[in-house]
Amino acid sequence: MKAVSDYKEIVPGKKLFETLVTRAFMFFIGMGMQTAYRIDPDVKKEVDSWPETFSFLMSVVGGPSMFMLKKAGSFQYLGEKEVFHSDVEMRFKNIEFAYLTMTGRISVPNAVYHNRQFVRGSLIYGMSIIRVLNVVQTLLLPNFIARFYIKEVPRLTFKKVINRAITYFNISYGAIK
Amino acid sequence: MLFKKNDVIPEYYEFFNSVKIISGYKALETIPFELGKLGAKRPIIITDKGVAQAGLVKHVVDSFGGTDTVIGAVFDETPQDSSNVVVNQIAAIYRAQNCDSIIAIGGGSAIDTAKGVNIVISENTDDLLKFMGNYRLTKPMKPFVVIPTTAGTGSEVTMAAVIANPEKNVKMQFISDLILPKLAVLDPRMTASMPPKITAATGMDALTHSVEAYIGPQKNPVCDAFAAAAIELIRDNIITAVTDGSNKDVRLAMANAALLAGLAFSNSMVGIVHATAHATGGICHVPHGIANSILLPYGLEFYIGKSPKVKGYIESLLLYLAGPEVFVQTPPAERAAKAVAAIRNITNELKKQSGLPVRLSEAGVTEDKLESIAKTTLNDGAIAFSPVEVSFEEALGVLKAAF
Repeated sequence: MKAVSDYKEIVPGKKLFETLVTRAFMFFIGMGMQTAYRIDPDVKKEVDSWPETFSFLMSVVGGPSMFMLKKAGSFQYLGEKEVFHSDVEMRFKNIEFAYLTMTGRISVPNAVYHNRQFVRGSLIYGMSIIRVLNVVQTLLLPNFIARFYIKEVPRLTFKKVINRAITYFNISYGAIK
Repeated sequence: MLFKKNDVIPEYYEFFNSVKIISGYKALETIPFELGKLGAKRPIIITDKGVAQAGLVKHVVDSFGGTDTVIGAVFDETPQDSSNVVVNQIAAIYRAQNCDSIIAIGGGSAIDTAKGVNIVISENTDDLLKFMGNYRLTKPMKPFVVIPTTAGTGSEVTMAAVIANPEKNVKMQFISDLILPKLAVLDPRMTASMPPKITAATGMDALTHSVEAYIGPQKNPVCDAFAAAAIELIRDNIITAVTDGSNKDVRLAMANAALLAGLAFSNSMVGIVHATAHATGGICHVPHGIANSILLPYGLEFYIGKSPKVKGYIESLLLYLAGPEVFVQTPPAERAAKAVAAIRNITNELKKQSGLPVRLSEAGVTEDKLESIAKTTLNDGAIAFSPVEVSFEEALGVLKAAF
């Protein structure tokens, strides 16, 4: 039999790769939301219906996050900030769930159905944010990949291709800056 | 969905329910013992005028006779749509009367109000707004007993509550495992006096809960078992409950059906029928059970036309809605339509027996309101749990078909 002192505490690993990937995808989504507000009329309509200084946080419990703020006619991606208040917060229960969702192995609707993520704050605004995220994902991803993320992928139009190019450009510019 | 290889078992699901269920004759009499086990001796009763006038509070008070449990106070002024103002008012009474537990007697409004009071008391706050959304509660709640007087909402076993905030003009939703009651008591005395039309509407509400839970995207074997049992109980008892309200066996069966449906949908969630029904209720003040009853067949027809997968689930529902004989005699291709027809048979019979509306136009909805109902539908939380994407035009289509 082992002595009491032989029993050591075990500190689980950090899951650095999953955290890095999730952080990168959150950057794409944040920049995508910021760009979509400028170029997509559906997103603009949704965001304009929210109150001024409305804030939205997407986060992982104990992990990375992204913060969006509607202010003075813009919808800004403010990166990973420590925030004390957000009007709506969409939280993944752990980094693994966020990583699987971000990499398309669990669709966003399935993450909601399975309770792998949850919403804090008004569910009415939560619904509106989900609609915005759906559009953003169609801007960020080619249709054959977007089908892993959302329930119904809209038909690809010339306008969509142009908007997608603008989004990619803005994200690249944001990354360099 | 790259993990998913087949439809044998969901790739992931969660199920939680910690409510002790006590069902049967003289079930009320066990409440003081159960409260005592939780260290409570002085409950506040939260109910509404209708319940008090029907003498149902007296049943509960009388059932406490011969015990050392004392009723700290009875609040019987819960309005139809409860608000944070009422919740804070009740919390003040709770504190002033040194109560140590809560008993809710009534339908959805009284039960949701009591859940709100429990949050305010247990979290020691007067601002419910900061607990809006999921998993915001952290403190253990006070002992909480629910005695439903309508066999429909299933609120006695659900982990959600909706309370209005008139000042901010929002309907606050609270979702947490912690707000589940400790005890749900089903006693046939408590539903015996329900009028036929309300019996029909609340019974159809329970049927809608179980059907939507069975076909929803969070469908899982545990919820399926509860939903199937609920549907069979409703199929066999709803008409008799309406035509012979004094039949206590049937009343108890319907109360159990509503509870089982609540267990199913609290975990598996609901979809387009509830989303449109919530919007219809919000804009045209159609009672929730009636709106669900009207919209259920049209919501199912929408799913049948849009998703082969959901159509498959509706096909298997025929077994529970119409029984094994009808199920085996019906070719698989016709089962989904026959399942919808079985629901229509029930609603048409309920219309004949109790005057339950089967069209939105019969429930006081005017055609010019349909567009705003469809718009509100898209903002309802339930629509996120629809197994298929729903556009404004599609929601409007369902409403027009039901009009």
